[in-house]
Amino acid sequence: MTERTGYLARQALRYAISLFIIVTLIFLIPRMMPGDPFISLLGEEVYYRSPDLVEQLKTQYGLDQPLSEQYLSYLHNLMQGNLGYSFHYSQPVWDVISYKMKWTIVLLIPSVILGAILGIVMGSLAGWQRGSGMDAWITSLFLFIYSMPHYWLAMLFVLIFAFYLGLFPLSGITAGGLEGVQKLRDVLWHMALPVFVLTLFGATYNFFIMRSSVVQVSGEGFVLTARAKGLAEREILFRHVLRNALLPLVTVIALDFGFMVSGALLVEIVFSWGGMGTLVYDAVLARDYPLLHGSFLVIACCVLAANFLADVLYAVLDPRIRGGNAA
Amino acid sequence: MSEFDDRFRANFELARRSARKASWPVLIGLTLLSLFFLLAVFAPFIAPFDPWEPGRPFLLPSAEHPLGTNDIGQDILSELVYGTRISLFVGFFAAFVSVAIGTLVGLFSGYLRGAADEVLMGLTDIILIIPALPLMIILAAHTSPNIWNIIIVIGALWWTSTARVVRSRVLQLREMPFVEAARGLGAGDAYIVFRHILPNTLQVISAKFILAVAGAMLTEASLSFLGLGDPLQKSWGMMLNYAFSRGGFINGYWWWYMPPGICISLAVLSFVLMGFGLEEQDRRELETSKL
Repeated sequence: MTERTGYLARQALRYAISLFIIVTLIFLIPRMMPGDPFISLLGEEVYYRSPDLVEQLKTQYGLDQPLSEQYLSYLHNLMQGNLGYSFHYSQPVWDVISYKMKWTIVLLIPSVILGAILGIVMGSLAGWQRGSGMDAWITSLFLFIYSMPHYWLAMLFVLIFAFYLGLFPLSGITAGGLEGVQKLRDVLWHMALPVFVLTLFGATYNFFIMRSSVVQVSGEGFVLTARAKGLAEREILFRHVLRNALLPLVTVIALDFGFMVSGALLVEIVFSWGGMGTLVYDAVLARDYPLLHGSFLVIACCVLAANFLADVLYAVLDPRIRGGNAA
Repeated sequence: MSEFDDRFRANFELARRSARKASWPVLIGLTLLSLFFLLAVFAPFIAPFDPWEPGRPFLLPSAEHPLGTNDIGQDILSELVYGTRISLFVGFFAAFVSVAIGTLVGLFSGYLRGAADEVLMGLTDIILIIPALPLMIILAAHTSPNIWNIIIVIGALWWTSTARVVRSRVLQLREMPFVEAARGLGAGDAYIVFRHILPNTLQVISAKFILAVAGAMLTEASLSFLGLGDPLQKSWGMMLNYAFSRGGFINGYWWWYMPPGICISLAVLSFVLMGFGLEEQDRRELETSKL
């Protein structure tokens, strides 16, 4: 029990340091870049349009103070949940992000779960029958998907399934003007294609990990023992191999969450899905730096949280950590 | 020293030679890649037009313009051919930067161990966990969009897996007899690391390099798609960006945005196939050597 707590405490410390580094990076990057840092801190729009406002804001934000003072007040603001002000949206950054984040999570959660299931099933089949014709086909397919830019596959699907076949809507979250169950059905219909694309990519990451994990485990002694005992192949795979091969996947799924978020950002843009992706895209086009910084911080926090959750799960599942000698 | 060293090297050569009996993924990957290389080198002879030459916009595919023209009338097929150069260039250089950083970090942390190892691996873990694309977006948004900045940004964040792999290889190597022997003969740390250990990590490094090129090309495509690419260069990612933001996607002009995507996928696939093929071979060799 104490071993487990110690392990989790170490991991928590690691994430705390990561978070601190991320926060400090966000502070340093705009100030280290060439050119006037006020452009970076206030966003281009306001800087070029209203010089008077810039002077006023400099004082208001304490940008005329020494760096150390600025850093402390920046940390102080973050503590109070103040991520700055987006001039592009004329709203506090946090208000914009908290609304958009919701829609990204709506896309991500089903994709991560479905992707994990698909990747695990396909990966264990391919790994168990490595070298067979089926393995060659499945593996080639996933190598091919892995090589495509996420957003381009999304464009291809829109072209085929929405533009030509008309089975799904071209873009957006919902047609609007709908209520209750009808609205839910409409949102689900709009979600189908982006979730399908993201599921494929999630499955790809998990597929390769699962495949090599199964290959590795099936070379272990206990599999030979199980076979010698006369167990059926299927029983060996599900009762012995998978149990051992699944464990590393818990951390991998969490780590891939970061990739999935990045993928979701790009896929959202293609579908004009009003989440973090379109938000970041707009912020890049408008060079709205406060919004970009806030988005990065929020995304990073989500990824860190997902990883910590995975560590907790791992500690509960893995008897080696439960009992001690955690590597 | 030299006897141990030679023996080890002979074994290593043997392993490498058997790896050269390339399997089909490696062969397909190599063939694809050589095609792209030819395209890049002979671009001026293959492309029917100057890709920067403006003309009549939004022409449909025809005999003169097999893939039509873009929003300012540049020939899309020519853009595509020239794009090979930039995409491969970014891929190779960014991969080089990332693998160089990763190798140095891995070498030092594996060889020095102790506190240096803890600090370097702690740093690696932290960078591994920071979502890379959003951080790259911020870095690229703050720097002026040019191709070298993109290469540095990608290279600076892609090195973590190389560092880990090199470190674990170095940890094995530093206990081997030939290193002990070199140390016994009074060789200095720097000499041992660069003359004895580094050459023996080349196999894992080259595998990582191949996959890093694939990753860098995909990342360049993503950054360019977001409008953070170099507007003066014709890369496949920039073509997709223009096709998306200037009406090609909404109007369903597939001849504008399908070809660059197909090129990115095939070029990345060529590297992924080689990397995957080599990895599988290594594993098979490991299995046969166990028996």
